[in-house]
Formats: sequence, structure tokens, C-alpha cells
Amino acid sequence: MPASNAKTSSATNLLERDLTLTRVFDAPRELIFQAWTEPEHLKRWWGPRGFTAPTCEVDLRVGGTWKIVMRFPDGVNEHTMQAVYREIVPPEHLSFTNTALDKDGTRLLEGLTTITLEDLGGKTKLTMYTRMTGLVSYSDRMLDGMEPGWSQTLERLGEALAEWSKS
Amino acid sequence: MTTPDHLSATFAALADPTRRAILARLATGEASVTQLAEPFEMSMPAISKHLKVLERAHLIGRGREAQWRPCRLEAAPLKDISDWIDHYRQFWEQSFDRLDDYLRELKARDSAAQKPRAKDKKHARKQRKN
Repeated sequence: MPASNAKTSSATNLLERDLTLTRVFDAPRELIFQAWTEPEHLKRWWGPRGFTAPTCEVDLRVGGTWKIVMRFPDGVNEHTMQAVYREIVPPEHLSFTNTALDKDGTRLLEGLTTITLEDLGGKTKLTMYTRMTGLVSYSDRMLDGMEPGWSQTLERLGEALAEWSKS
Repeated sequence: MTTPDHLSATFAALADPTRRAILARLATGEASVTQLAEPFEMSMPAISKHLKVLERAHLIGRGREAQWRPCRLEAAPLKDISDWIDHYRQFWEQSFDRLDDYLRELKARDSAAQKPRAKDKKHARKQRKN
């Protein structure tokens, strides 16, 4: 994975989190915008390797919905993302509210996501900002078999809790 | 890893600001029920009730050794609850990896599609000559 141009940051709250990801793609932003907004393209890259996207429906207009089903490598388990478009500015900006549901329709998390595409002369810098709230037992079931590689010290946990209890 | 049910209990226990404040206090070290009650305008039974919820969610442990039964923070369920955002991050990072591959594929297909078009042009020139 080209970790060099993938930067991440997250806020301290444990249930409501900010996440910013950036990635530079060697493609013009028109193409990337298309890849984000056309079902046949979306199905080809949505989800980690081994996952598939059997269903994708896009109604690309403000207030329109976007639904994509992600099937797990076991071929059985599925998660669905349902989104409603808030802003559509081709080829530079896309924002939507999104909800992730498990196979039983239980809401796992919801949030607001903004995608910004910046032209770097042929290449494109994609910035994804998302503010998500974990709703229920959004657990290790989600992406089974992936190593989170995450470690949190008790000190940092204490800081996070102190910050959070102020709000 | 705790089970999803445990995780729901953790979410429920964390939903209350008093309980979060208690956990923040315990992150600095063990404390007695009396010490924990100090910052709050709350009766001891009310505090005890909050502690029971936290104990059931395995967020705190109570000492058996001393009569004052000190409370201490149990970090494991909090780590689990924090993992969800990490899973989410991983979801996007790995999707972006695939998007990167897919865009390469599209570009390769596009340049392959341009070659026959160049041929067409030649063909068109030939036709004009004729």
C-alpha cells in the first residue's frame, strides 16, 4: 500500500469520530469523479480486496440516493451503505450523508462524508473527510480478518475520556 | 475481543456523561466510591448505581481486598469500542488501493482504445486519396 501519500487523523471522541484520508491518484479528476458516481465503476473498487459489490444504485442529484451492497469474502455476509447526496459539483466535490447497515438491517454507523478532488496537473489529490457516529455493536465482524494494527495506551485513553467528559 | 453484545453494553454505559466523567477520573488511578462521588452533586446510592452499570459493562473493576473496594478502569472494552473507526479507516484505505488499480486499468484500456482510432484516421486519409 502506498502509505506515503495516505495520511490519517482522528478526533478523540470514541463514538463520534472525524476521519480524514488523503490519497494521490495518477488519473485526471474527471475519471475519478466518474469512478465515484457511476454504478459500473463503483462496483469494481468498492470494499477491500476479496469483497464484491453485487448491487449498486445511483440517483445522482442533490437529495437523490445511492445504495451499494458490499459482500464479504465468505460470499454470505453483506453490509449495505445507503447515502443521500448533499452536494454534487463535478469533477471536484461530492458530499453525502451515509448509513452503514448489516445484513439484518441494523444501523451500524452514520455520518456525513465529503470528497474533494484537487487537480495536480494530470494527477489528482483526493481528500475524504468524514464525521461518523458508531451506533451499535460495530465490531470486529465488520472487516473480519483484517489486522487493525492499532494500539492505544491507557494514558491516551485517559486524555480522550477527559476531553469527552467535558462535552 | 469482546462479543458484539458486550460492545452494545459498552456503548450503553458510555452514553451517560456522569459515567464518562467517572471513567476519566479512574484513568488517573484507583479511587474509592466516596472519592468518585466528590465532584458530583449526587447521593452515594446514585453513584453506586452508575458504578454498577460500568461494572456490568466490564469498564471498571472493584477490588475485593480492601474494605473500601477501590474502583479501577478496565481498558479492554474501550479499546474494542475505539476499533470501529479503525475498521472504517481500513475499509477506505483498502478501497482506495483498489480504486488506484482500477484507474490504472481504465487508463490502459483507454490508451489501447486510442490505437485503433489512429488506424481509423490512416484509413480515412487513404479513403480521401482515393
